[in-house]
Amino acid sequence: MSSRPSSLARFCILLTLLLAGVSTSWADTARTTNLWWMPENASAGGVLIDQLIYFILFLTGGVFILTQVVYIFFLVKYRHRKGVRAIYSHGNNRLEIIWTAIPTAIFIGLWGYSNHVWSDVLHAPPPADALQVGVAAYQFGFSFQYAGADGKLGKAEASFVSNDNMFGNDPDDPDAKDNFTSTVLEIPVNRPVHIRLDSKDVIHAFYVPQFRVYQDIVPGRIIEWVWFTPTKMGSYQLACNQLCGSGHYNMKAQIDVVSQADFDKWYQEKAKAVQPPAGAKLTSLSETKDQ
Amino acid sequence: MSQTIAHSGPEAHAASAHHHHELSFFNKYIWSEDHKTIAIQYLFTSLFFLLIGGLLAMGVRYQLAFSGAPIPLIGTLLPKWLVTDAGAIQPQGYNGLVTMHATVMVFLVVMPLLVGVFGNFLIPLKIGAPDMAFPFFNALSFWLFFVSGFVLLSSFLVPTGFPAAGWTSYAPLSANGAFNGSGAGQSLWCVGIFLNGLASIAGAVNYITTIINMRAPGMKMFRLPLPVWALFITAILLLLAVPVLSAAAAMLFFDLNFGTSFFNVQASHYGQPLMWQHLFWFFGHPEVYILILPAMGLVSEMLAVFSRKPIFGYKAMVYAMAAIGVLGFVVWGHHMFVSGMNLMLSSAFSFSTMLIAVPSAIKTFNWLGTVWGGSIRFTTSMCFALSFVSMFVIGGLSGIYMASTPVDLFIHHTYFIVAHIHYVLFGGSLFGIFGAIYFWYPKMFGRMMNELWGKVHFVLSFMFFNLTFFPMHNLGLNGMPRRIADPSLYDFMKSQQPLQIFVSLSAFGLGLSTLIFFINFFFSMFRGPKAPRNPWNSTTLEWTLPSPPGHGNFEVTPTVYNGPYEYSVPGMEQDFLPQNQPAPETARLAVH
Repeated sequence: MSSRPSSLARFCILLTLLLAGVSTSWADTARTTNLWWMPENASAGGVLIDQLIYFILFLTGGVFILTQVVYIFFLVKYRHRKGVRAIYSHGNNRLEIIWTAIPTAIFIGLWGYSNHVWSDVLHAPPPADALQVGVAAYQFGFSFQYAGADGKLGKAEASFVSNDNMFGNDPDDPDAKDNFTSTVLEIPVNRPVHIRLDSKDVIHAFYVPQFRVYQDIVPGRIIEWVWFTPTKMGSYQLACNQLCGSGHYNMKAQIDVVSQADFDKWYQEKAKAVQPPAGAKLTSLSETKDQ
Repeated sequence: MSQTIAHSGPEAHAASAHHHHELSFFNKYIWSEDHKTIAIQYLFTSLFFLLIGGLLAMGVRYQLAFSGAPIPLIGTLLPKWLVTDAGAIQPQGYNGLVTMHATVMVFLVVMPLLVGVFGNFLIPLKIGAPDMAFPFFNALSFWLFFVSGFVLLSSFLVPTGFPAAGWTSYAPLSANGAFNGSGAGQSLWCVGIFLNGLASIAGAVNYITTIINMRAPGMKMFRLPLPVWALFITAILLLLAVPVLSAAAAMLFFDLNFGTSFFNVQASHYGQPLMWQHLFWFFGHPEVYILILPAMGLVSEMLAVFSRKPIFGYKAMVYAMAAIGVLGFVVWGHHMFVSGMNLMLSSAFSFSTMLIAVPSAIKTFNWLGTVWGGSIRFTTSMCFALSFVSMFVIGGLSGIYMASTPVDLFIHHTYFIVAHIHYVLFGGSLFGIFGAIYFWYPKMFGRMMNELWGKVHFVLSFMFFNLTFFPMHNLGLNGMPRRIADPSLYDFMKSQQPLQIFVSLSAFGLGLSTLIFFINFFFSMFRGPKAPRNPWNSTTLEWTLPSPPGHGNFEVTPTVYNGPYEYSVPGMEQDFLPQNQPAPETARLAVH
């Protein structure tokens, strides 16, 4: 039972100070080396998410510091000393009510705030002018499909997904005929991008930390609610973030966010290359393959 | 023995205790039906698995810091599914390490240490019972657990190696050997988890029955020590949650081996990959509380004993645990915000998740209230219990980020989650377990553990734990996905390599500091000073017995007069009032 409480208390205080010191220096190094902090946000929705993260950071940081200061103060003040007896107390009901009610209010408030952002960022339907891109995931890569000259991606269903039809395009839908594919996700800056996700084998994920976007890609269904608006030009990496097998560690794709002009040029070139021959427009994909 | 219940009087007890004196070696040490022996069997087995799980973690950290570098010394001796010819870890081997590290730590270490060891050892001793209600089931439970552990680990010897679909085994990756590349290992995983589930169910039935039926006279429910309350609620969670996992594991086994398509969407278009996630997390979230509630109970008791104070808000603590138990069944969807589940459901699960944070907050405030005004003794147990509170606060607060659906869009499946789970499961549960082992070791083995080396173990673990896991929050915020064998392949993670190496070096330090515990543990068993009956001046019933208690526990069934934490009662010379002693006339006990 014997111990040296003062030295232990001193150690605890020292460690706390050290942690506090380290945490203040984070903010400075964060921006320059990006060793400690979030990558710079590059999407419209990410702004709202970052605000929420900082809000929670200050809230939880405040609670953490407050509880730990009180805790360490108690540990030092009420360490065992000869002849001093502990206070005999079984608790206090009023305190129990207070520290039940306050967290409840805070947590429900936080839920309201979160849910508001959730509705804005993800739950809201994608804007009508959004660029539609099909994203097919497979072991171990991604492929992207664009609408082609007609600007329509066409219908897709999970039951059509196969090795020959990775995006699950409806073979009877003429809109899909002129779609073209790309190994790079090329998107214009400041325009909403609406992605349609499908997988042909296992669960993969569409994860871009700079866009603050994550969505699992589930085989057997097509997920059509994810959209985001990139706000900064540059090259990014799409990472699969759902363990998908032996090649998971290297399953990624390049994302290029370019100006609208550059995007249009790239798009027209790609679209031209896959113009279907005249007359084949209304026949289905499977029939063309048979001929 | 099983027929003897605590109320049947002293004669029956003495007789049963005597009757069991001449046990054969086999019945005493191998197939023992004595709850104390079973607890110790659980302890040795799960500490062995702790070593294994720790080694697997070292492998994971080695790969993340030094990917492509051969493992020193043992690299070339390892099987070919795990390492290249040069002895460096392969991506598929890494997936196996990650999968088995988590599986071992959850199912073979923390769960059995809390529920198997302390559930078995403490429940009968603390409630004044001679043994568990179903001693045969109890022994069966241990041996099922024992077998399940070796079934799970046996995949090491299979040519395709460890299961490699993560401890969550998301289908259809897990449901198809062609996809996961380790169908045999995955099948063994299903069998192991199924057997492990049976062990848990047998244990849970036993605990619930024992606590309801076998309490000594006077041991009202609200006089139960908090570890018993925690284990009682945990047992109910186990009984309701584990069968779901067992069923899911059986279905997965069928998908893997017999071409069914519960989850396998390729076999027919009717398989439902998300159904696996719903089943898994319907078990998995209560499981999180199964892994922390008993530790909360153990820690509460240590805080009271070494603060020499009654628990602050005993009933609030019990109600908070019950609330966690109930709410724990309606929050599983927060693991699935971005799984493809309906977005409205995400909102609903976010709400219930925010609510379940409330009872955790209540518990934290009551722990602060318990040390307030105390006369705190900083023993090794107390140091671990105190740090449990701080680490649990960090783990709880980081959970709030994930409960917020939009934030989860960013941090889902990153190292932020890895940091969170380790703050709760290692800084929380395992620190609680370490504290509890130092605390009840004298009662288990009749000897004291070395305090000085205990403190060294504590200081090093505390330091290296935080150096290892705190920076993982930062790695996660920078977007590092979990379960990536080589993060340096991604541009946005390259700049973090120094931090990655720092974390790994700290993890090796943490691994080494645990060895101090092991040495102390085994050394003290033979060389530790003999333990008195009640080394910590504690009030609960187990401390009225010799260390270690004899077979059959109580020679005379105790009668309970007081609540479990009557410390520093005014008007008494002694600063503790044992549960089985009527309060002296001068004592001014508070009604609460």
